[in-house]
Amino acid sequence: MFGAGAMTNSIPEIRDTEVMFVIGSNTTEAHPIIAMEMKVARQRGAKLIVADPRKIWLAEHADIHMQLKPGTDVFLLNAMAKVIVDEGLVDKDFIEKHTEGWPALRDNLAKFTLEEAEKVTKVPAALIREAAIIYASHKRAGIYYTLGITEHTHGTDNVYSLANLVLMTGHLGVRSAGMNPLRGQNNVQGANDSGCSPVFYPGYQYCNDESVRKKFGEAWGIGEGPGPGKNLNEMMKLVEHGEMHALYIMGEDIVISEPNCSVLEESLKNIEFLVCQDIFPNMTTPFAHVILPGASFAEKDGVFTNSDRRVQRVRKAVSSPGNARPDWEILGDFARECGYDMPKYEHPGEIYAEMAALSPKFSGISYERLEKNPRGLQWPCTTPDDPGAEYLHQGAPLRGKGEFSTVDYRESAELPDDDYPLILSTGRVLYQYNSATQTRRDEGTNAKAGENFIEVHPDDAERIGIVDGEQVKIVSRRGGIKAKVWLSGRVQLGCVWMPMHFAEEAANRLTNDAGDIVTGTGEYKVCAVNLIPLKDARKSSGSAALAAARSPKSA
Amino acid sequence: MSETFTIKIDGKDCTALQGETVLQVARREGIEIPTLCDDKRLDPAGACRACLVEIDGQRRLQPSCAWKAADGQDVKTHKASERVQRHQDVLVSLYMADHKLDCEGLPIETGNGNDLRAWAKDCSTLKLDPVNAPRVARPGDKNPYIEFDPELCVLCARCTRYCDEVEAVNAIALTGRGSETTIGTAGMRGLLDTSCELCGGCIDTCPTGALIEKKAAKTLPEEVEKVRTTCNYCGVGCQMDLNIKDDEIVRVTSPDPGTTVNDGNLCIKGRFAYDFVHHKDRFTEPMIRGEDGQLHPTTWEKAIAFAAEGMKKVAQRHGPEALGFVSSSRCTGEENYLMQKVARAAFKTGNIHQCSAT
Repeated sequence: MFGAGAMTNSIPEIRDTEVMFVIGSNTTEAHPIIAMEMKVARQRGAKLIVADPRKIWLAEHADIHMQLKPGTDVFLLNAMAKVIVDEGLVDKDFIEKHTEGWPALRDNLAKFTLEEAEKVTKVPAALIREAAIIYASHKRAGIYYTLGITEHTHGTDNVYSLANLVLMTGHLGVRSAGMNPLRGQNNVQGANDSGCSPVFYPGYQYCNDESVRKKFGEAWGIGEGPGPGKNLNEMMKLVEHGEMHALYIMGEDIVISEPNCSVLEESLKNIEFLVCQDIFPNMTTPFAHVILPGASFAEKDGVFTNSDRRVQRVRKAVSSPGNARPDWEILGDFARECGYDMPKYEHPGEIYAEMAALSPKFSGISYERLEKNPRGLQWPCTTPDDPGAEYLHQGAPLRGKGEFSTVDYRESAELPDDDYPLILSTGRVLYQYNSATQTRRDEGTNAKAGENFIEVHPDDAERIGIVDGEQVKIVSRRGGIKAKVWLSGRVQLGCVWMPMHFAEEAANRLTNDAGDIVTGTGEYKVCAVNLIPLKDARKSSGSAALAAARSPKSA
Repeated sequence: MSETFTIKIDGKDCTALQGETVLQVARREGIEIPTLCDDKRLDPAGACRACLVEIDGQRRLQPSCAWKAADGQDVKTHKASERVQRHQDVLVSLYMADHKLDCEGLPIETGNGNDLRAWAKDCSTLKLDPVNAPRVARPGDKNPYIEFDPELCVLCARCTRYCDEVEAVNAIALTGRGSETTIGTAGMRGLLDTSCELCGGCIDTCPTGALIEKKAAKTLPEEVEKVRTTCNYCGVGCQMDLNIKDDEIVRVTSPDPGTTVNDGNLCIKGRFAYDFVHHKDRFTEPMIRGEDGQLHPTTWEKAIAFAAEGMKKVAQRHGPEALGFVSSSRCTGEENYLMQKVARAAFKTGNIHQCSAT
C-alpha cells in the first residue's frame, strides 16, 4: 500500500492529533497506555470517531460512534470514501503526486451510497456522513485499528479500505496522522523484523528475491537460502491433513490460539514429532515429545520492537527457575546438535549485530546506542548517527507511489441462520492476556476477570429465556462450550461477544477457521452460534443468579 | 516558534517560554522548589502550597506550579526569601502534625518513598500537637494490589486527579469534609467494586507513600535493585523498572513521566501481573516423552539430542517441507532471528511463522 508493515506514526504523537478514527480496536482494554494518550488528545480537544459493533469505553466517550454490524467494515469505509469524494474533500494534490489507481477506485465507489450503507451496516447514514467529513477535513487525522479489522475473511480488504481513506485525504507523512495498526503482543513487530515470516527474511527482505536468498545463504554458510514457505494457518491445515509431520513451537499455545481448535487438537495426537519450548504447560504441551523450558522476559537480555517500530532493551533481572534457560541459548545448542554450524554467541547483543548487519532497515541500531536512548530507536534507522524515524512516508510514500486498491464488499464466511441465529465475536479483556498462562496466575487480574463469560443483549436473553449470571451452553457448527451470561447493553441485538482467554472453555472451539485469502488470518470476529440454557444451572430469582455468579466455577 | 523572554529567579536570569509556569522554568534551570501535588501529567492544582514563591509586585506568596512566567518577573524561592522559608517551616510542621512519624520525629519512610520526609529534613520544623483527624480508609477493601493509609495522606489529590485526568475512570475522589476529608470511593466500596482498573497510577503518583503496593508494602526503596526493561504484555512497549530483592521481583515501578514512551504510566498487567515469573507451575526441567507415553525430566544434553534427532528423522523421511517452525511474538528479536535461522539455514525450509499471524 505505502511500503512498510507497521504503524506509520508514533504513540507519543497521538496527544497532538486533531481527529482519531478508532476502528476494530478496544483500545482501553487491549492497549491501555495508548488509550491514555487518546484520552489526553481528547482532553485537548481532538475529535474521536469510533467504529465498533460494541459500545466499548471509547465508544461511550466518542463524538461519533458507528455501531456497525460485525463484518460490514468494507461497506462502511467505502461509503465514507464516497462521501469524501462527493463533498469535494479529497486531497487532489496528494493523489496526483503520490498515488496510483485513483480513477478506478473513484469509479468503483459509486455503488456505496449512504442509503445502501445504512441497510448493510445498520449505521445511520447521517453518522457515516458526519464521520467522513470530520475525518477528511482535518489534517492531523489518524486511523487506529487492530484485530477487529484483520480477523475476518476479508481482513485484507478492510485494511485496503482504510488505506484508501488515508491516501485520498493525504493523511500520510504527517505528524499525528497516518494509519496505525496497534500491535497485540510485546514483540509481534520484532518477530516480523527478525524474519519469522514465510515471505520475509530479516528486515523485510523478500524470500522470492534471489539476491536476498543469496545474501543470507552466504552469510550463514549454506549457499542459497530457501524461498517462501507456508504461513501458520497453512501449516496448521497441513498438520490437520497429515501432510506436515513435525513442528518446533517456541512460546505459543497453538491449540488455544487457533480457530476451530478441536480439529487441530485431534491431529496433534498423530503428529510424528512435536517440540514445545515454553515457560508454562498449556493446551499444546500435552502433545509434545520434548519440552524445552525457556526463560521469561525477566530472565534474559534482548530487544522487543513495539507497535511504533521502537526497538527497546529487555534486561535480565532475575535467574530462571530450576534448569530453565534463555531461549536463544537453547536454539543455538539445538542448531549445532542438528549439524548446523551456529556461532557460539556469548550475548544476545552479538546476535543483534549479526541481524543488523544483514538488514538495512535497522543497520544503524546497536546495543551501545540503545543504552544511551531510554526512548529506544525507531526503524528505519540506517546509520550509526541516524536518529530513527518518528513517522514514516515524510515527503512521499516509501514505495514511491501509494497504491489505491479497489475493494468490493463480501459477506463474512458464516452468517447467522435458523439453527445458529447469533453472531459471535471474540476478543480480549483488560485483565487477562491472550492464552492467560501468565495473567491467570495473578490474584488481582483474576479477581477482576477470572472466569469465562458471554455478553448477551437483554432482548436476546429474554427471547432465549436466560438471565444474568446463568451458565449457558454456546454452540457453533464446530463445537460447544459453557460460559456465564452477562446481560449487557454493550452488544447489539443479534450479536454476542466473549473473550478468548479461558483454556477450559476455549472460545476457539467455536470460531470459524475460514482464513483471509491473502494472510490466512482466521475469522475470529464473526461466526454463527446458538445459546442453549443449561437447565441444571438455571436460577429463576435475581438474587439466586447473583449468588451463582459469585460462586466458584464448577466446570 | 514560541516566544521566549527572561525572568529572574533568586537573582539568576532564566529564559522562559511563553505559557510556562515559574516552576517549569526553575526546574529547567536546576533551581529546586519543593512540591507535593505537582505531576507533569496533571493540570496544576496549587493544592499543597509547598511550592509557594515570592513574586515581585504580588502581596501574597504564589504557587509556582500554577503561576505563569512573564517577561521581567522577579521571583524569590526559599533560598532567597526568608518569608518563603518561614512559610515552608510552618507548612511542613502542620503536615507533620497530621502524619505518621518515626522515632526520630520525622515523617516515616515507606516502600513508595515519602517526599515529605526529605523536605522536613531541610526545614526548621516546629513541634505541634498531633491533629488526630478522623480520616478513614476503606477497611473492607479486598483488592490485592492497592493499599491506602490515611495517616500518610496529605490530601494533595494527585491520585484522584490522575484517576480523572490520565486514566479517566474516576474510581477515587476526595470525599468527606474538613478534617474528615479522605480519598474515597462511591459508597466507600472496595476498589474491586468500583470503576477502578487497578492500574496503580495512584501509587505511582502518590508523593508520601499513603498509597502503596500491598504485595511489597514493607520493602523500602533502598532494599531493591531496579532493572529497566520492556513490558512483556501488549505491543505498546512500556518501559518499567523491575525492583529486585534476593533474586525475586518484589515490585514494578514506572520511569519518570516524560522520559519514555509510556510517560510514567503502566496498566494492571504491567505493574502488577508479574507473579507468573516465580510461579510454581513453571517448567523447570527439560522433559522427554518415554515409551510409557509420559513426559519424564531429563538433562539438557539428552533433551537437545532427542529434539534434534526427532526433527532430523522427519526431515529425512518426508523432506524439509514436512517441518514447520512456529516462533513467538513473546520472545526477543534475537530469539526470533535464531528461530528463522534454524528453519532456513539448519533445515532449508521456509516454513517459519510466528504466533501473531492469527
